[in-house]
Amino acid sequence: MLLIDGQKHEVTVVRRRPQLVLRVNGRDHEVRGRSSPGVGRQALVIDGDSVEFVRAAAGESQFLRLYGRSVEVKLADVRATGANAGAAQDSIKAPMPGAIISVHKAVGETVSRGETVVTIESMKLQTALVSPRDGVIATIERTLGDSFEKDEVIVSLEPLAEEA
Amino acid sequence: MRRIQSLINVSSATFRRNDAHNRAIVAAFREKQEAARSIRPARDLERLAKQKKMRPRERVEKLLDPGTPFLELSSLAANMAYGGDSPSASAIVGIGVVCGREVMIRADDPTVKGGAWYPLTAKKIVRALDIAMENRLPVVHLCDSAGGFLQLQSEVFPDKYMAGRIFRNQSLLSKMGVKQLALVMGHCTAGGAYIPALSDYNVIVRGTGAVFLGGPPLVRAATGEDVTVEELGGADMHTSVSGTCDYAAADEDEAIHIGREIVSQWDRPGKWKIQQDEPEDPAYDPAELYGIVPDDIKTSFDMREIIARIVDGSRFHEYQPHYGTTLVCGYANIWGYKVGILANNGVLFNDSSLKGAHFIELCNQNNTPLVFLQNITGYMIGREYERRGITKDGAKMIMAQSCSHVPKFTVMCNGSFGAGNYGMCGRAFDGRMLFSWPNHQIGVMGGDQAANTLAEVKLNQMKRNGGTVDEREIERLWQETRKAYQQQLSAYYATSELWDDGMIDPVDTRNALGIAISVSLNAPLGQPGYGVFRF
Amino acid sequence: MNSPLAPARTAGNTVPFRKILIANRGEIACRVIRTLNAMQIASVAIHHRVEANARHVRMADEAVEIAGETPIAAHLDANAIIAAARSVNADAIHPGYGFLSENAAFARAVADAGLTFIGPNAETIALMGDKISARSFAAAHGVPVAPSVMPTQDIDTFAQEAARIGFPLLIKAAAGGGGKGMSIVRSAAELADAARIAASEAQRYFGDGRVYAELYVERPRHIEVQVLGDGKGGAIHLFERECSVQRRFQKIIEEAPAANLPESACDEMCAAAVRLVSAANYQNAGTVEFILGADGRFFFLEMNTRLQVEHPVTEMITGLDLVRTQIEIAAGYGLPLTQDKVRRSGHAIECRICAEDPARDFLPETGVIQWLDVPAADYLRFENALDLKQRITTDFDPMLAKLVVHGPDRNTAIERSIKALNELTLLGVKTNADYLAAVLGHQAFRAGDLHTGFVAEHRSALLATAPSDVELDHTIIAAVLGFKEFDALAFETPEPFATIGPWRN
Repeated sequence: MLLIDGQKHEVTVVRRRPQLVLRVNGRDHEVRGRSSPGVGRQALVIDGDSVEFVRAAAGESQFLRLYGRSVEVKLADVRATGANAGAAQDSIKAPMPGAIISVHKAVGETVSRGETVVTIESMKLQTALVSPRDGVIATIERTLGDSFEKDEVIVSLEPLAEEA
Repeated sequence: MRRIQSLINVSSATFRRNDAHNRAIVAAFREKQEAARSIRPARDLERLAKQKKMRPRERVEKLLDPGTPFLELSSLAANMAYGGDSPSASAIVGIGVVCGREVMIRADDPTVKGGAWYPLTAKKIVRALDIAMENRLPVVHLCDSAGGFLQLQSEVFPDKYMAGRIFRNQSLLSKMGVKQLALVMGHCTAGGAYIPALSDYNVIVRGTGAVFLGGPPLVRAATGEDVTVEELGGADMHTSVSGTCDYAAADEDEAIHIGREIVSQWDRPGKWKIQQDEPEDPAYDPAELYGIVPDDIKTSFDMREIIARIVDGSRFHEYQPHYGTTLVCGYANIWGYKVGILANNGVLFNDSSLKGAHFIELCNQNNTPLVFLQNITGYMIGREYERRGITKDGAKMIMAQSCSHVPKFTVMCNGSFGAGNYGMCGRAFDGRMLFSWPNHQIGVMGGDQAANTLAEVKLNQMKRNGGTVDEREIERLWQETRKAYQQQLSAYYATSELWDDGMIDPVDTRNALGIAISVSLNAPLGQPGYGVFRF
Repeated sequence: MNSPLAPARTAGNTVPFRKILIANRGEIACRVIRTLNAMQIASVAIHHRVEANARHVRMADEAVEIAGETPIAAHLDANAIIAAARSVNADAIHPGYGFLSENAAFARAVADAGLTFIGPNAETIALMGDKISARSFAAAHGVPVAPSVMPTQDIDTFAQEAARIGFPLLIKAAAGGGGKGMSIVRSAAELADAARIAASEAQRYFGDGRVYAELYVERPRHIEVQVLGDGKGGAIHLFERECSVQRRFQKIIEEAPAANLPESACDEMCAAAVRLVSAANYQNAGTVEFILGADGRFFFLEMNTRLQVEHPVTEMITGLDLVRTQIEIAAGYGLPLTQDKVRRSGHAIECRICAEDPARDFLPETGVIQWLDVPAADYLRFENALDLKQRITTDFDPMLAKLVVHGPDRNTAIERSIKALNELTLLGVKTNADYLAAVLGHQAFRAGDLHTGFVAEHRSALLATAPSDVELDHTIIAAVLGFKEFDALAFETPEPFATIGPWRN
């Protein structure tokens, strides 16, 4: 599944011989030639038309220029499409016993996935505890200097709102 | 190689009669197969939907690379057992491509008695894992089973080739370096719990997946402990506490996604090299097979006409075309793979047996896989033939065939009777794959012969006892014997009991063999060598 | 045509300066360095640490890092920049545009440090930098100014006087620029409130809450005149430029000459500009901006006392190197040529390529440049300092590059520009390049029917049309095959599985 400007597009292989046939949003297209994955000028013959384009890849995105447009096509994260994706990750637990050395967020603040919420120190090692998903801080159970045991809940996030 | 010149007249009355007859047989087969695949009690389907589970076939389809084939094995297993309560023996087994890798896929069927294993389920799983071992095929298990079907536990549990064999095979597969992945999409209870535990990798679905030796009711009964499914064997417990499972997935889609990522990490060991050419479609339409196989099993036909509709370009290099003519031997290609074909054009005589044994040795010498197309009523009997040593000539063929180190494949095309079954690589001879056409019959002898034999015995008994011979009683006995026997001769019975790897539509033979040959080349060919031939 | 960067004049055999520090970055720093190289003057770049490897740093003979909380702060740190210039023994500082280029205090500090500021003196900058003093000075020297009301402390009095001019009115911040603190008032009722809001906005942006009001010209064109002054009253003009195509009050397409401009209006504006520059004893290249009404009346807008972003269009039609001219004037060599020697040929258009999304009201976009193919031809300049894998952030202005195209006539220049914009492939960050091509291709633009509301007037026609289903599908196919996993899925299926295809038994 791919995303262009947030719009979802399905693409799958229908068959490979005698020519590759891909189904895009329910429409079948015959593809000849093989582009080299990655960056550069490329050409494919799609539905008998020679389609020339420039493509560059970066992470989960492909950037293309063709038909006079520059487009970013993103890979939709299958993990985010699951009905309960991340729902169980409502809390940040201590990965090891230690003490809080800084708190970067306050209750009620929004956090994005991967953002540091608190920093802990354990065995002379500082570790950033990051949010497992986008959300809002519901509680911060420990304050500066507090110590805690392994697996203690340090921060909890507001549960995700039910889908309307 | 020369193209076979077909002598079939597709507009003849015979062709048309055969065609109608065989199409009806295939239609009946397709109907049964479709029922086994999709007809389930509404409440089972509703329960599945409520749990947000996919049907097992959807799981398989999503796991497979899109636009690739799936060779389903034994789709009609158990079709004549348990009053039809276990369609496909409650399991989907087949060979497909996942992330470009050939794999064996085995899925429990939670729409039948919660995925409980019937005796034939265990047999089907054991066979799937045997195939995996013989062909070094990685296995993906889609687990969702309540465990053994308790009412029939004595036929599921204790013996050598019953459920325990599954776990023994899993262990040996791992030892051989053949990868296994289990996607836990439902409960894996009791023995079933060992499937993910013995897989090299596993993924468990949060909420619906669970792995435990005894479920909550059993725990309560045994120890009084009250525990939820999640606590006892849920995804989070097993992936973060016990380490029994490797990855937790939010739902089945994600489990399949993770599973595919895991498979894409696997190496692709090289295949055994055999002679190969560019594949070529048969020159004659495979659908003509329907008009060639006669509507009466007693009518003979030329197996070259069958070969012409299975092999590449209908090309066939026949070996010794004028000697031992009741056994057609020769080289051909199937999906590009060079094979040696042995096909029956009548009863096996001394010369045809010797020719067969010799051809098998040639193929072994040439690393050419063997394909047996069975339509055999047996080796010739009678004083003349015994004096010529038909038994020891048949034994030579069995010896050569049994000891072959090249992969062997068998297609039951019409009939397989008596010792001919042995010489032509019947089920007991460890062919890599064996398929049956729906018109096929198999038994130690034909139905009429069996009834005659039994009636004869009965008649003699009556005579010895000095009683009068009751012709009506003999007739009744003959009919009864024939009926019971006929049922067991049917290909449906054979496939129900897993005497084959599945019933196939004749037109699917070429693809089925192509896939079977391809996967067979994952395993090394083994050491050539034979026992003592009796000359 | 002549190379726009060909030496304009040889000033004897002496080089005016040995080493010049460029207090700027990006394309303009690179552009200045090119001229310094041609003049055999050593170049010094400055940079914040985030740009230690930027193109202008690599191009320069020397580079000095300027510390700063933010990259912009570093480029605004006058003391640190002057200290850097002294530390490398530079003789002069070229400010480029933006940043400190029109900062009188900086110009003074540069001079006080014994260095040459390549620009006018601090007093002239201050005079022209304040809209009100600039306008009074213009009016005093016979340059038409729009009827206006000067600021007072009392907003109500201001409103009453302003109402006397008539509506619509434009309210502007005295210290403003870039459209900040501007608003259009169409009736007396709105006036007082609008003035208050403008004043508070002006206070917030410029630290100076004074606002003034002037006649608002409907469908105005933005015409500006490129001038050169020798600092002793000598001044010439290098004709006009039209900069009417703007979004968010900022220019995106500029051209020279202006289309459909009556020769008389053009002559009048150029003459007025020269008068102003001469009267101010202006020393440097500069730009006098006018608003031209549909009725042919024009009013002084402001004067920019520096090199303009769009200066290359003038270079293209006159064959002069304006940076060289700036340097020579600053060195006291005087004007490079007399007015009667100034010639122009053909037509030039500049398109500003910005990291922004025209579909979302031109909001700035960020990203990393993943691919860069720039157009090249002897009739165009692609002014940029872009590098592959360069991170485009909101640290600096969203302008990424300038495409400047020359043609023998306007139509040819338009066609060549559209072709070059289509050839430009810049992947990894959204740009307005295709939007600019749409503007150039619009019949109103081709007809020269321009005014500063052009972008708003043709909004829907200029937005990209949705791709057809076929184009969309082909795009998705081209994209998806770029993912290694999908490429493998499509092409690495083993035989006979690939040929057998989606078969089920």
